[in-house]
Amino acid sequence: MGFIAKMAATSAGPVLTLCRQFQNAFRISTSLAAQQSALTWTKSHSYPYRLKYPLVSPNWHCHVGLVGQCRPLHTTISRRGLEEFFDIPENWGEATVKSGAPWTAKQLRTKSNEDLHKLWYVLLKEKNMLLTIEQESKRQRIQMPSPERLKKIERSMKRLDTVVKEREDAIRLLQTGQERARPGAWRKDVFGRVYWYRFREHALPWYMNKRYKRKRFYTPLFVTPHMRLRLEKHLRAKTRIQNKEREKQTALQEKFPRMKAQSS
Amino acid sequence: MRLTAILSMAAKAAFPKDYRYGTSRPWTIAAKRLNPPGKKRRKVFIEPIAYEDWSVFKGDTVEILSGKDKGKQGKVAQVFRHRNWVILDGLNTHFRYIGKTADYRGTYIASEAPLLIRDISLVDPTDRKPTEVEWRFTEEGEKVRVSLRTGRIVPKPVFQRRDGIVPQQWKDGPKDTSPEDTLEKTYTPSLKTLEEEVMEKLGIEEPRRNRKTYWY
Repeated sequence: MGFIAKMAATSAGPVLTLCRQFQNAFRISTSLAAQQSALTWTKSHSYPYRLKYPLVSPNWHCHVGLVGQCRPLHTTISRRGLEEFFDIPENWGEATVKSGAPWTAKQLRTKSNEDLHKLWYVLLKEKNMLLTIEQESKRQRIQMPSPERLKKIERSMKRLDTVVKEREDAIRLLQTGQERARPGAWRKDVFGRVYWYRFREHALPWYMNKRYKRKRFYTPLFVTPHMRLRLEKHLRAKTRIQNKEREKQTALQEKFPRMKAQSS
Repeated sequence: MRLTAILSMAAKAAFPKDYRYGTSRPWTIAAKRLNPPGKKRRKVFIEPIAYEDWSVFKGDTVEILSGKDKGKQGKVAQVFRHRNWVILDGLNTHFRYIGKTADYRGTYIASEAPLLIRDISLVDPTDRKPTEVEWRFTEEGEKVRVSLRTGRIVPKPVFQRRDGIVPQQWKDGPKDTSPEDTLEKTYTPSLKTLEEEVMEKLGIEEPRRNRKTYWY
């Protein structure tokens, strides 16, 4: 296991330097040296911004002659589509990358479910690519080229999700009449407030669930006077806001007599 | 879910109700110096103008009605709706030093002061005189500004996008969808959910059924 490959970017190009054990045995041919770049037998080390070299050709093997205890070295690059995590080579090193407008909900509504399914994964892979670029720029402390692409992708994905939800809602309303996808109920909490309690999925029925039985969906009797006080406070605050708004309107009318009477 | 809500709250900047907006954007150092978090300034009353009634846009030619440069016409460079302000190119200027260091006195430049909407008037394109403008609808149903004195339409200035893209001259990149493909309609309404349709297309059969769960 004494093999360490280091890559040093010299002015001529990257040169593989191996540990002393293999140095004499290993001869790098000049033609290979011209094409060499990152080894991908560890993680993919290609840096699109500083080092503008392509990934290693998949046919590059280095067979080392046996010298002493040296083992035959065979490195093949397993490149199973990792290039999709990075931008196309034309965009490497650019400061800005051109990108089109995001998908609108109106355009997405005309597409079939299969198309939307495929588009989702296309957008997801693009998003992963952009996030990789963003992380790499943070690591190298340079500006990410065209960060608005991420926003566009996120908006497109959000709109796609909205369209799919709309279609699901329509089918559910037609077939069952249920307005909500997730069941729930209006319940009173310990403080006397009525709220929409959303159900959760459980493996046990409620009468066997100890934690659920400890929750109180009723108001104890000693809380009722405090409910009235809370209501009074709320009404006082509401009236205060309304009065302030009215005073503000009169002050504005004085200052700007030409103003139209209505203003939000 | 609550974590994302908290993060989004932190991401969008929140300002107090009586925040005094200035000419610099609120996240710049100059604005932060003028409005530090605890400072309370005297309230400025802004005349409320409805969104539909706003008639001055960036790139319009307007005339100044009162002030130092009264009677001059200029192009609008910036519009601040929250303070009813308009900044014209090169008009209503005062002079100041910029980039001052300990030994260098700085560059002497002319910087424009904002003008209130009330001191500005749109210019009729035909006789180039200031007029009152009203929003009216054309025969086609388009909302346009009409000058009350002559009755001519004041055209809206050409809107340039901040990223400099002109939609008519756009060329698609390798990852962009062409307009024909974008507008192509492939949707046929059916009573199948997306999951069911996709499983049909891919030939996935799921004979397993979910175990009974309880919702409460």
